[in-house]
Amino acid sequence: MFTMLRRRAVSSVIPLLVVVLGVFFLARLTGDPANLYLPLSATPEMRAEFAARNGLDDPLLAQFGDYLGQVVHLDFGESLRTAQPAGEAVLRAFPATLQLAGWTMLLAILGAVLIGSMAAYRPNSATDRFASFLSSTAASVPDFWFAIMGVLVFAVTLGWLPTSGTSGAAAWVLPVVTLLIRPFGVLVQVVRGAMVSALSAPYVKVARSKGASESRVVFGHALRNAAAPALTVAGDLAVGLVNGAVVVETIFGWPGIGKLMIDSVLQRDFAVLQAAVLLTALVIFALNILVDICHALLDPRVRQQAAA
Amino acid sequence: MLPKDDVLRQDADKGTDDSADKGVESGPGSGTDRAGLRGKWPALLLQDRFAFAAAIVLLLVALCAVLGPLLIGDLATRQNLRDPGRPPFSLDDGWAYVLGSDSLGRPVAARLIAAAGTTLSVAVPAVLVSLVVGSVWGMWAGFHGGWRENVSLRIADVILSFPSLLLAVVVLYVFSPSAANIVLVLAVARIPVYLRTARAEAAELRSRLFIDAARTFGTSGWATIRRHVAPSVLPTLLTVAALDFCFVMLTESSLSFLGIGIQPPDVSWGLMVAQGRQELQSSWWIAVFPGLAIVITTVSATVLAAWARLSTDPGQRWRQGLRRGGRRPGRRRPSTGGTSALRGTATATPGTTAEPAPSPEVTRAEPTTSVPPSTRPATLAVDDLSVDIRTPAGPLPVVHGVSFDVRSGETLALLGESGCGKSMTAHAVAGLLDPAAEVVGGQARLEGEDQLTLGPRARRRLAGPGLAIVFQDALSALNPVHTVGAQLAEPFRIHERMSRRAARAKAVELMERVGIPEARSRVDAYPHQFSGGMRQRLLIAMAVALRPKVLLADEPTTALDVTVQAQIMDLLRELRSEQQMALVLITHDLGLVAGHADRVAVMYAGTVVETGPVSEVFAKPNHPYTRGLLESVPAEQHKGSRLSSIPGGPPDPRAVPSGCAFRTRCPMARDVCATHRPTLAGTGADRAAACHFGKELADA
Repeated sequence: MFTMLRRRAVSSVIPLLVVVLGVFFLARLTGDPANLYLPLSATPEMRAEFAARNGLDDPLLAQFGDYLGQVVHLDFGESLRTAQPAGEAVLRAFPATLQLAGWTMLLAILGAVLIGSMAAYRPNSATDRFASFLSSTAASVPDFWFAIMGVLVFAVTLGWLPTSGTSGAAAWVLPVVTLLIRPFGVLVQVVRGAMVSALSAPYVKVARSKGASESRVVFGHALRNAAAPALTVAGDLAVGLVNGAVVVETIFGWPGIGKLMIDSVLQRDFAVLQAAVLLTALVIFALNILVDICHALLDPRVRQQAAA
Repeated sequence: MLPKDDVLRQDADKGTDDSADKGVESGPGSGTDRAGLRGKWPALLLQDRFAFAAAIVLLLVALCAVLGPLLIGDLATRQNLRDPGRPPFSLDDGWAYVLGSDSLGRPVAARLIAAAGTTLSVAVPAVLVSLVVGSVWGMWAGFHGGWRENVSLRIADVILSFPSLLLAVVVLYVFSPSAANIVLVLAVARIPVYLRTARAEAAELRSRLFIDAARTFGTSGWATIRRHVAPSVLPTLLTVAALDFCFVMLTESSLSFLGIGIQPPDVSWGLMVAQGRQELQSSWWIAVFPGLAIVITTVSATVLAAWARLSTDPGQRWRQGLRRGGRRPGRRRPSTGGTSALRGTATATPGTTAEPAPSPEVTRAEPTTSVPPSTRPATLAVDDLSVDIRTPAGPLPVVHGVSFDVRSGETLALLGESGCGKSMTAHAVAGLLDPAAEVVGGQARLEGEDQLTLGPRARRRLAGPGLAIVFQDALSALNPVHTVGAQLAEPFRIHERMSRRAARAKAVELMERVGIPEARSRVDAYPHQFSGGMRQRLLIAMAVALRPKVLLADEPTTALDVTVQAQIMDLLRELRSEQQMALVLITHDLGLVAGHADRVAVMYAGTVVETGPVSEVFAKPNHPYTRGLLESVPAEQHKGSRLSSIPGGPPDPRAVPSGCAFRTRCPMARDVCATHRPTLAGTGADRAAACHFGKELADA
């Protein structure tokens, strides 16, 4: 088990480094922040002073070296916008996104397991066809448009839900539902496919031949075997939630990390962007390990491979 | 992001029954059909209403994109401040305003058409670039393996581990958001998807023999890829591309919506939604229609991708059609003895109409009731059982009019080649048929009670203590994620509501009984930790847990080597006498039948052709098929004579010969065999054969 996790950790270090490196250099290509933070009439001296103060006059490699050195000491630099430590800004925004994404994934997985299993139980039945229509539509709806339609119907026309903010359960409905539809749609299809093949496996017949009830057959025998592929895709979808979070948080004014990242790109706020990307990469890294652990918990064969 | 193709494959009904598999193999999908698919796809498309509608939608979008500029001129961008914010669905100002106009008076309908062009001019090149680069790269990496493969996969991991939208945002900030840059960013972000798919397929092919053969002939790497790898990989990749088209379109519209995609005065659907958002309260239509356009286009592409996957995979198509056609056409036909013996092929041929239906010859003679050998009542009596498989072309009879019975403490062998319907018969009796198969007539009485008409609840109560079944492939018949102890305890938990602890003790007891060493310590092990023979023992233990009255053993030793085979058969025999079970041994192995069965029922093409005590049947077969089978086995009594085999192969279930199903391979066939189907008739004490010349053979 630990061998597997260690191997996974080692093989993830390189992608992690590449991401950090890529963001650092790409961000510096997006333009000189002096143009944004100094008046147009700024003299070359003022610009030089600005650059020196923010360490932007060193050669790029030296800047990167400094940056790495700081990161090791958990110092992410200061935000150009607010002059606050970038690490703090990111950590402040992080819980909002984590909660949003957590609820979204939880509901998406529960819903997909339920509907996907129902669809798979009788392939090509009316239920199955309805579920596949529902899920393929859900997977194809652009989230930003769905959000706007939600606002139009439930906030503007009916006045039931607020258009933004994080206070009260009502404020959570539209962001969570918007973020949820795509992963839900994809997961229903995955769960359905995996359940159809699990339910046609010989061990399901054996369970039936022992007189097991249908709920025992479906949930006791088939579902756990179908869980592995669904889990893999769920992990990928959770990574993809970052995409959705950028859009959803922008539309609903959610003070999360997606909005923070987009704002920092727009404002050339390098320090914050770097810190946010690094944290996101770390979370994705942790998520992958979590998925691996779940795989091992679900399937004894994976455990054995991991031990070997 | 994309669901893995192999996961999504709506893999259903892996027919575990050999005749079901047979049906799939020789089904309408294989070989010739795949070759013919290229010419036939428009017809196939017309068959599926959804796919057809989707194709029409995509065609319309493409037409809008190509012909749009001619149609609308500069309507999409010309401001018309006299007419801002016109509501939709009014034709007063011509068709362009049918969907209303925006705050600058530009007609929404015209802008939608113009945006179709922009959207496609981004999505199509992006998909093409990533498809070509990713698949060539992937095939190269997968074909060569080694470091090329590793490095390629690492690169793919890095790209995929970064949220694609954020990547696009950063890159588009570096290199101004033009259409060409969006194409580039999206293409780079999606290359890993094709790379992985193509690599996986190519790596799988790498291990195949024909690639080795090509190498041996000195064909160069690229030529081999082009000639052998690409054609096999391409269908999968095209399906991925169709799904990817949706993804690219959605990402482009998200970017445009965020203000870093397509820039005004160009127009894209995502941009239109962003503009409409500003005026949501006053003019809802500006945001609604472009969003609908995105949804309809992406849903169409998804539907078409799903259809393409089905039609390029013959097996899938067959199964799908099978389910579609399978809306329980006839339910259960009441069994009417003689008619079911004539079903299917018999009614299709004019010759058989000559057959007088109610004549005594046609009414089947039951082997054991007409010639009762024993006074003990049968534990399991199967009577005139018929099973159909539903296919797109209609029901396909795979078991017809099968009858046999078995008493407690006795072993009956159901002997036949694979595909003859013996497994199907057992599964029908146990109520474990695949959804595609259906019992259409007959009875299976367990101590007088017909199992086939029982409700699901009553049936479950008898599954285990009444009727149990041992499956062929013990590895797939044991659930890989549960401990063997839990699986062995399950019968006790279900039927006797035992506590977990008590059931576990019972499980250990059972394991010891079937001869698994160190049962106490291995009870918490998983199936993959046991050897094949041990797994088969576990499966038998599970079946006999509740001392069933009848045990159906479906090829219980096929997957095992000879010494283990003998041990398993001995175990079955011991358990049979110990528990006074009736044992039905389903097998194709004449040796097993000779060594372990009391009586035998020989099956051919879905019917029983001969029954009787094993020693008598083997000493003097009364059916030419049985005789052929026995002559094809090297044995002591044949020493010196020529070893013969039956010419030809068993008939395709879709084209069983008229009259006697065996006549095309039979050395004794005469005219009567083509017109009259022989029924099982007594040929001696406790013996019967379904042959017009059974009596002759018996008396010869």
